[in-house]
Amino acid sequence: MTALDDSAMAARVAQRRWHRWRNKGALLRSGILLAVLVFLGYSLHFLNVDLARLLDLFGRTGRLLAERYFPADMDYVLARGYLASVLDTVQMAYLGALFGMLLAVPLAWFAAFNMTPGPRSLYPAARLAIMGCRSVHEMIWTILFVTILGFGMLPGVLALTMFCIGFAGKLFAEEIEAIDRGPVEALRATGANELQVMIYAVLPQVRVAWTGIAIYTWDVAFRAATVVGFFGAGGMGWYLKRNIQQLENQRVAAILISIVALVIVSEAVSAWARAVTAKAK
Amino acid sequence: MARRRRRRAIRLAAILGLAALVLWSIEATIVADTDWQRIGSPAAILKSVSRFLTIDFGLIPQLLVPTLETFMMACLGTLLGLFISLPVAWFGALNATPFKPVTYPLARFLMTLSRSIHEIVWALIFVAAVGLGALPGILAIAMRSVGFISKIIAEAIEDVDPKPVEAIRAVGGNSFQVMIFAIVPQVLPVALGTIIFEWDINIRRSAIMGLVGAGGLGLAFFRQMAMYNYGGVTTVILAILCLIVLGELASTAARKALI
Repeated sequence: MTALDDSAMAARVAQRRWHRWRNKGALLRSGILLAVLVFLGYSLHFLNVDLARLLDLFGRTGRLLAERYFPADMDYVLARGYLASVLDTVQMAYLGALFGMLLAVPLAWFAAFNMTPGPRSLYPAARLAIMGCRSVHEMIWTILFVTILGFGMLPGVLALTMFCIGFAGKLFAEEIEAIDRGPVEALRATGANELQVMIYAVLPQVRVAWTGIAIYTWDVAFRAATVVGFFGAGGMGWYLKRNIQQLENQRVAAILISIVALVIVSEAVSAWARAVTAKAK
Repeated sequence: MARRRRRRAIRLAAILGLAALVLWSIEATIVADTDWQRIGSPAAILKSVSRFLTIDFGLIPQLLVPTLETFMMACLGTLLGLFISLPVAWFGALNATPFKPVTYPLARFLMTLSRSIHEIVWALIFVAAVGLGALPGILAIAMRSVGFISKIIAEAIEDVDPKPVEAIRAVGGNSFQVMIFAIVPQVLPVALGTIIFEWDINIRRSAIMGLVGAGGLGLAFFRQMAMYNYGGVTTVILAILCLIVLGELASTAARKALI
């Protein structure tokens, strides 16, 4: 090390501008993170969550399952009455999904900003309808329809219809918004009206994606259909509710196992069907 | 020609068969199962709908705390779900799983289990296990979110650039170190987007947790329903809608700020 090197180094150091915070973004980000953590900690206190109970959660759940639920009463699940309710559930799910998607198609058309026939009137109305259907949880729809129409499968089908309008409508509209403009303009140039543009320019482009979404919607609707009965709308959920209230825990365990098994089957079927439609592209 | 005609005939038969099936299910589930006498005329239906078309303004001050509780339950549930899904995603990604024959199927099973059980059922299980209150709601939301979060993160892990992974392995890092230093920085943006998306959905889920004994707006809804105070029911639903709209705005803003 020579003296020259030292002084050159000192000059370079003197030229550099030092900041306490390397950039302000980092400070802001840490501040937000800290605020979120403080909020989460406070909400633990506010909600009166007893963390000690969280620690022995596994022990308690294990004991609960072993003592009360363990030998699942599979005979109950395989009995005729319950199997009939499974068939009801499947029918409820696909009817709800079918009606929901039939209603979702025009709504998605109106709610896609690039294809909507009425940007000022129909667009916001359709957006609002889809968002309203999405925001209200399917269980709340079920309770409302059961209150208005009474017990049975009709309120279940209607609740699933509302759910599917929100679910499929949003995804359908997003697919329309992502289409290629070329065919649309070609048809417009020949003087086609909005409906003709929709049928001949848009539908062929979104057909495959919509089929995939439709299968997925049915899958999600089936998952919801297994429990809509819990609030009085037919199917397996009604058996679940009844046995929970009668404290027939081993039957409850069997019903839960049957729900999981059916959902896994439906998921496998829907994954297979989606793979087939994707290949047919 | 004959082949095309036969194919068209098969397609027509399939469509007719499906239509018959649909008609039969409509007949079996809707027409035969419904008590049309009880529902009555369209005027009676309109009358029972119209009972809901009022707002109980007196209830609004009492809804502030449940709204906050619902919001907090969604936040804590998403956070807990994230903590649980990190190891599940690690085990469930084909290229990162520590011991393929055991950990991979285990993680895939957990993902399917988490998504296939409805949040209401999860809440029932946890209410039985830890008692009433917000804790079972948080746990139910967390368990329900694990499947989606860990599936998306596992897919992101499977798509990572393998070069940093090999670099860390070459200097002697074990599979945990590979995870922390090579994979986590690459999947972070996807993970953040997924968490914000799931948080948005979880607000909706936490609004119904009260129906089975875990506080928040669901409990308020249940109480108004039990009192046959239909205006109050509408008010609670409007409160849920407000919360969800706020959550959607916040999640859009957060997604723009982070990604």
